[in-house]
Amino acid sequence: MARSVTPGAIAALLANPTPDSPLEIPEIVVQVVDLKPIGSSTTRFTFMASDGAMKIKAMLPTHLASEINSGKLQNLGLIRIIDYTCNAIPNQPEKALIVTKCEVVSPSLETEIKSEVKEERSQSDVKKEEYKSEVKKEESSILLMPKQEIVAKSAAQIVNEQRGNAAPAARLAMTKRIHPLVSLNPYQGNWTIKVRVTNKGNLRTYKNARGEGQVFNVELTDEDGTQIQATMFNEAAKKFYPKFELGKVYYISKGSLRIANKQFKTVQNDYEMTLNENAIVEEAEGEVSIPETKFNFVKIDQLGSYVNGRELVDVIGVVQNVSPTLSIRRKSNNETIPKRDITIADDSNKTVTVSLWNDLATNIGQELLDMVDTAPIVAIKSLKVGDFQGVSLSTLTKSTVLINPDLPEAKKLKSWYDSEGKGASMASVGSDIVSSSRTGLRSMYSDRVFLSQITNDPSLGQDKPVFFSISVYISLIKADQTMWYRACTTCNKKVTEAVGGGYWCEGCQKNDDQCSLRYIMVIKVSDPTGEAWLSVFNEQAEKIIGCTADELDRIKTEEGDEKYQLKLKEATWVPHLFRVSVSQTEYMNEKRQRITVRAQAPLDCSAESRYLLEEIAKMSIS
Amino acid sequence: MDTSTPAVFVNADVLKMYLGRRVRSVVQVMGSEGGTITGQSTDGHQLTIKGAQSFPLSHFIEVIGIADGNQSIRAEICTDFGENFDTQAYNGLCQLANGKYKNLFL
Repeated sequence: MARSVTPGAIAALLANPTPDSPLEIPEIVVQVVDLKPIGSSTTRFTFMASDGAMKIKAMLPTHLASEINSGKLQNLGLIRIIDYTCNAIPNQPEKALIVTKCEVVSPSLETEIKSEVKEERSQSDVKKEEYKSEVKKEESSILLMPKQEIVAKSAAQIVNEQRGNAAPAARLAMTKRIHPLVSLNPYQGNWTIKVRVTNKGNLRTYKNARGEGQVFNVELTDEDGTQIQATMFNEAAKKFYPKFELGKVYYISKGSLRIANKQFKTVQNDYEMTLNENAIVEEAEGEVSIPETKFNFVKIDQLGSYVNGRELVDVIGVVQNVSPTLSIRRKSNNETIPKRDITIADDSNKTVTVSLWNDLATNIGQELLDMVDTAPIVAIKSLKVGDFQGVSLSTLTKSTVLINPDLPEAKKLKSWYDSEGKGASMASVGSDIVSSSRTGLRSMYSDRVFLSQITNDPSLGQDKPVFFSISVYISLIKADQTMWYRACTTCNKKVTEAVGGGYWCEGCQKNDDQCSLRYIMVIKVSDPTGEAWLSVFNEQAEKIIGCTADELDRIKTEEGDEKYQLKLKEATWVPHLFRVSVSQTEYMNEKRQRITVRAQAPLDCSAESRYLLEEIAKMSIS
Repeated sequence: MDTSTPAVFVNADVLKMYLGRRVRSVVQVMGSEGGTITGQSTDGHQLTIKGAQSFPLSHFIEVIGIADGNQSIRAEICTDFGENFDTQAYNGLCQLANGKYKNLFL
């Protein structure tokens, strides 16, 4: 009784598709893999016949069904083919094996037999040879730090395949012709693609008008680098969620395509794919011709145009700074999420802060913190661009972070950093944007109004706060108001005095002996048209008073009340330029106008004079 | 405070309107010899300041005195305004103070 498959069996079968008599057939033993009924039938079965190196789709006629139903012919078992035919399947390039007579040689072997030489592909391989030479060139640069073993096998892999290709018999055989992702369209359904899962979403449950359901997405990349998103619902989601593994390569066919919904689009493709339960997903063995992750880097100084947009960006930079992990409380469900900020710089001589969330914060963040002295290069894919502090980058669940990747951009950055970047003092890209739109003197002249214009219009800022610039003198800072609050030294939120001493911060969920005082006060200001009360926070208050809240508190307690009042007096009748927001709030059923200082700048007499001259000139005309 | 003879804000152009009158002007020191300073007015013309002490070159000085010529002032008080001065703003002031808004000043 044979214990294993006949090597080259499939090739032999295909070489002689219609043997005239059973006597012609050599000893052919194959393993039965993927045995399953056709549809809901109990009499017709299909399987893949494997000889350890190749597989061919095969069918068993009804009279052999009893063998299966009785348990003699099992999946992963061995059968000797006694009589067969190879038929071409309409619309499919490969042939199928119709087993007309066979004999069970062995029950289930528990595992699939695999020989040394991995699966060969057919004609598509010839084309692939050309691709491979190009891909290999790219590969050497795109080939990234081994995250999975697939990469480690590659050299041996390629050599084996090359040697394997020499044997003509092995060239034949099954397999599907691979279609490039870029050729897929909704009107041609008979395709098979070979793709790597470059991103796997979570299995989410949703509720809509039609009821509940489950959905999950994967992002697929083929060897040309084209990407497409595939979505699965309900049964298909449940079926394929465990099957798809991030980083692995699969053959997929029988999916359907439709135009991508721009609102939810995350990859550059006009189409998106849906896989239902009938789709076929098969893991490909040891494939490396698909690059692991394709990046499209944006230089830090170019990030400005992406701020608050929907497009996700990729960046690469040298890590200059890694913050400790912070815990941020999510307002919607009070969940705490870890977050870490890192500062990266690139050869556009600008820096930017990237916020890492969840696992990226804890794992990658820690790795980076440990190696921050070595100035590691980090490449990050799929970042959201926000406007915090001008420009800020934030990771999403789909973001990928690679440390010291083997990319040409990484090498370039490393050499730039070693020669220039290390010593260069670089500004944050956000500060350019912030200063030109917020605290810059230029903006202190945009939307300039007089106090009376604000105070005379109580409906200002009803829905959304409105912003203005004002030029005023501080007329009064009340000495007996609550000027500051106790703040957490890490996150600046209010802390409460803890029972056992120290201060408790809700945001960071920790106790601290130290706390800092941060200003929160109201001041009265005057200009030629009237007066108003403004709310001021820490940064601006420090500039107004001229010292920190901690320092003012010290003066109050140590040097006495008079000195404290003197400090406040010194801040009075000083002119300032303020950027303020005006909003409407309700207080005891009464609508009130609340003016808050957002930015402060000292009054520049020269600029102000010119502004006034302009305004006077405008008056003259009208 | 003696308000009997207020000094008029002038530059080179306006100076000729107030001959014999008390004026004030800011000029940039171009040169000085003896007790006379050669200064550049805020509208780019040359003025001679008589009876003034020495000031560092390219500093701005305010001169209050009597206009005794189309291009000269007999100084009574001179003050050093330093190196940074916005001539454009001052010039605008001179024009407004002697034009449309004269009544606010004199």
